[in-house]
Amino acid sequence: MQPMGNDKPANVPGRPVLPSPAAPRPSTPFISSGPVVGLGTSGVPQTAAPFLSSGPITGMQMSNYRSSPPPIRYNGPSSPPPPTSYPGQDATTYQQTQAPRFPPPAQPGTPLRVPPPVGLPVTPPMGSLHPQLQIPSVPMGPPPQTAAQSSSRSYMPPPVSESSFSAPRPPPQPSLHGYSNMLPGGNMPPSPAETQFLAPRSVSQPASQQAFPAFHVPPVHASPYHVHQGGVVPPPLPPLGGPLGYNSRGQMQYPSTGPPMGGNLQGLVEEFQSLSVGSAPGSLDHGVDAKSLPRPLNGDEEPIKIQETYPLNCHPRFFRLTTHAIPSSQSLLARWHLPLGAVVHPLAEVPDGEEVPIVNFGPAGVIRCRRCRTYVNPYVTFMDAGRKWRCNLCSLLNDVPGEYYCALDASGRRCDIDQRPELSKGSVEFVAPTEYMVRPPMPPLYFFLIDVSISAVRCGLFEIVAKTIKSCLDELPGFPRTQIGFLTFDSTLHFHNLKSSLTQPQMLVVADLDDIFLPLPDDLLVNLSDSRHVVDALLDILPSMFQDNANVESALGPALKAAFMVMSQLGGKLLVFQSTLPSLGVGRLRLRGDDLRIYGTDKEHTLRVPEDPFYKQMAAEFTKNQISVDIYAFSEKYTDIASLGSLAKYTGGQVYHLPSFQAATHQEKLRYELARDLTRETAWESVMRIRCGKGVRFSTYHGHFMLRSTDLLALPAVDCDKAFAMQLSLEDTLMTTQIVYFQVALLYTSSSGERRIRVHTAAAPVVADLGEMYHQADTGAIISLLSRLAIENTQSHKLEDARQLMQLKLVKSLKEYRNLYVMQHRLGGRLIFPESLKFLPLYVLSLCKSVALRGGYADAPLDERCAAGYNMMILPIRRMLKLLYPGLYKIDENLIKGPEYSEKSSKQLALSAQSLDPRALYIYDDGFSFIIWLGRMLSPDLVNGILGLDVSGFPDLSKLALLEHDNEYSRKLMRILKRLREKDPSCFQLCRVVRQGEQPREGSLLLSNLIEDQTAGTSSYVDWILQVYRQSQSS
Amino acid sequence: MAWQLVLWLYAFASVISLIALNAYQLINLSDLEFDYINPYDLSSRINAVVIPEFLVQGILCASFLLTWHWFPFLIMAPITYYHINLFLNRRHLIDVTEIFRLLNGEKKYRIIKLAIYFSIFVIVIYRLVMSAVLLLMDEDDGSLESGIF
Repeated sequence: MQPMGNDKPANVPGRPVLPSPAAPRPSTPFISSGPVVGLGTSGVPQTAAPFLSSGPITGMQMSNYRSSPPPIRYNGPSSPPPPTSYPGQDATTYQQTQAPRFPPPAQPGTPLRVPPPVGLPVTPPMGSLHPQLQIPSVPMGPPPQTAAQSSSRSYMPPPVSESSFSAPRPPPQPSLHGYSNMLPGGNMPPSPAETQFLAPRSVSQPASQQAFPAFHVPPVHASPYHVHQGGVVPPPLPPLGGPLGYNSRGQMQYPSTGPPMGGNLQGLVEEFQSLSVGSAPGSLDHGVDAKSLPRPLNGDEEPIKIQETYPLNCHPRFFRLTTHAIPSSQSLLARWHLPLGAVVHPLAEVPDGEEVPIVNFGPAGVIRCRRCRTYVNPYVTFMDAGRKWRCNLCSLLNDVPGEYYCALDASGRRCDIDQRPELSKGSVEFVAPTEYMVRPPMPPLYFFLIDVSISAVRCGLFEIVAKTIKSCLDELPGFPRTQIGFLTFDSTLHFHNLKSSLTQPQMLVVADLDDIFLPLPDDLLVNLSDSRHVVDALLDILPSMFQDNANVESALGPALKAAFMVMSQLGGKLLVFQSTLPSLGVGRLRLRGDDLRIYGTDKEHTLRVPEDPFYKQMAAEFTKNQISVDIYAFSEKYTDIASLGSLAKYTGGQVYHLPSFQAATHQEKLRYELARDLTRETAWESVMRIRCGKGVRFSTYHGHFMLRSTDLLALPAVDCDKAFAMQLSLEDTLMTTQIVYFQVALLYTSSSGERRIRVHTAAAPVVADLGEMYHQADTGAIISLLSRLAIENTQSHKLEDARQLMQLKLVKSLKEYRNLYVMQHRLGGRLIFPESLKFLPLYVLSLCKSVALRGGYADAPLDERCAAGYNMMILPIRRMLKLLYPGLYKIDENLIKGPEYSEKSSKQLALSAQSLDPRALYIYDDGFSFIIWLGRMLSPDLVNGILGLDVSGFPDLSKLALLEHDNEYSRKLMRILKRLREKDPSCFQLCRVVRQGEQPREGSLLLSNLIEDQTAGTSSYVDWILQVYRQSQSS
Repeated sequence: MAWQLVLWLYAFASVISLIALNAYQLINLSDLEFDYINPYDLSSRINAVVIPEFLVQGILCASFLLTWHWFPFLIMAPITYYHINLFLNRRHLIDVTEIFRLLNGEKKYRIIKLAIYFSIFVIVIYRLVMSAVLLLMDEDDGSLESGIF
């Protein structure tokens, strides 16, 4: 299919991109009109090169073009021709016209349009594109051609650029004409879809014409928003009426072009889409309709469209850029006020059937670039008849090892490309040979450090922990090599000898906290399969062993040192169960954080950073010895999570904070999360590095890890629940390449004892146009990175400052966007934002109201704040967005009417008290907990059925554990909860019940989390939008 | 006048050692940047010399003050203040966990310090030579006088 021979090496990278499947893909042909734009905008002159080379291609592509059904898709959204009438239009009109087009963004087709050409070094499509334009143009004579060119340029992909509006004004009609005619020249048979499409359009036309004058009067505000929402339930036809403004154009067309209209439309559509998608301005005025504001009621939408443009990229679940368009210059980057970077989730769980393929190179060794050490990936190009390959990151020509040699076919592709996942898939896993080991792969190792002081005894912790561990013993990964050990401590350290020849474990007490020593050289850490019976015996007696312990002290510091001594040879996972403030020995902490006066001063942040350097040093030592620390903290009183959490932060661990732990209510959560922690697939002693092409560099990293060198993340243990974020910076003032490649490589030891390298490769285009950056922006990644920056900011600044910084970034970015488009659209009284960032203001607001960042002293207990901060540092994007905009579902009808009703009613509601109806029952799900809200006027039967007790006595619901009772309501509710939990298996959502009007629990559990409402000191969503709008307008 | 010479000789030695310690730290930091050493080695190497540097610098500064050499003292005073501040906030040691984030800042501080040390070095050399020459001249004068008379 790829006609272009290997004569042009540069094309080769493109080759994989457009393998045979590409031909049928509509995208390529389609791009033709769009891409030109891309080229123009990206600063690449519309060179003849692609043109020339693709001479032959053209034909092919064209044919595709004609025959391929895909264009239909485009038509759908389509309609509007170039904006002849724009000048006359009021902004609102514009919007209205846009409204219809919202659906298109949802369509996969959209992405195709713009980016591909830009990205591919020299792609056939481009070539085809040019020819298309030009060939037809020739007959038409010069004028059309130029017109076409100008129009294409002006219809820059994302935005309606200024030029599109002003420049084309005089020529537009002819030019468009020419253009439209041109395309038809291609003799596109109008496909059925197109014709359909046309029909409504023409019908709508008269109306629109009439509307046109009328629209000079400013129309209803906020209508666009409706449209946004409409996007969810897209009204396909009504929008067609939309292109009001364009009608004059339409008029001309219709008469002139009969049959070719389809093609005509298509060309126009092309431009139009770029208009709509790119600039998608929303408008707001005072008196905004709260209902019409954009809300992410569908959760996170992964930018899968990128996969279509770059099919060789890894799936976005592994790697997401904050904008899939790298700015070409420092000055452009300076105008992009949002963070530029990526969120990496190297071990993200994949659905069945999409597992990352494992590749073993055998004796050839892992194929890597000599100079930059990049792993072989789909974007490398083979040349010299397959004897050499060119690295896509540094362009160095490498030799292909003899064992890996394969001949190239006529188009320069390797013949065995289909058998080699590393050359056809963006994510692969290499089996690493011995050069990648500094020592034999370690066995999975779990060491439990359990605080047995009186507070732990009181809350009934041991029984649950011991039982859970025991139940997980069979499922611990890495059988039969798994190692296990236990250490309990209060004011002394209790070592447990688990030697396999013993029948009962021996406890050895060390009371000297200043000079820790190990009472036994080994046997404190034993092979689980050998000593299974001893471990079982220990777990059986553990709960009873300490049940009468009245010791109030907790010597965590010395215990950590002891654990370090035990584990330092092997590394592994250290689970710390801490239920009180460490009070003895090194690392003792003091009560702080209850000092009200420190809030609002410059010292405020000291409460959120580790107080004692001991913990950081310990963490550094742990990481050095491949030990990862998970902290389980249970105390209702202050335990200085800020200090304890730093152990997890620098060792790739996680903080589980279960304040006021009560066995009765919390046991299920602890059991589930501990079991998941122990049994999920874990990558041991790993390091991660992200390489990127010339000109860009990852400058800062955010998450739980330790940097071992400037770009090497040391991760003693990493699993599917942890994501990392990083910021990009440009090294040169001007980028010379057209595409930037990124490669994430995670070298780890699997539980089975195999050394593996997981490699994710992605490509992103370099653009010279800010609008394109906005167009390709990814709200999820931006928010994820932004939140991590904000959390880190709170560790050196006041909370208020961190919030303001975020708001400032939001406002600046919107202002910049506004400056791009507002002038020629005359959108004076509107807030405009790109379609891709429509949820950004809401998420930023929500971030400001999140537990980690909200309010001041009284708004969240310090420990919870810190724990939330530590959590947000590792959350993958999807869970982060869920946390920021939790689901609120009305389920009483489900309970009453049965599951068949569920589809309809389980629609997510806006997070506002207005959504709450006192006659209904709601469930609030933020991914970490469920809150069931019982309306005041809910039928008592239902309530009693669910709770299993008579609610008229106003029982204390805070102690209530929601269990399944023997009635239909309860069973249905449990089924619903189960289904919701299955959606997010990484955490157990503890379910709490709250009744309407039950203060203060209702306020703290639910009302303060309804982020669209105004609460003390924070603004409501509407106010926030107005505030942001005002700030973005003031210059 | 001999005590002057002793003072300047002492200052000379101190400043040389300060410059050496600082350069050592800087070299280590840039080694880290280029991945020649790991952060653990870096922090143990640098942290070993931080306190000695503070002591040497503090004593030198104090001796300038006590001997009422206000100009060199004023040059040294900001560094002393900075050191005391760091020490009181317990931020004087390299934090191995955050070193990469702080790397540029740490380097900048050390370069500034190095620049100040060099400027004081020039002064010290000048005063050292001055006092040595003066001393010699005094003696020479004396000997001359004695020779003459």
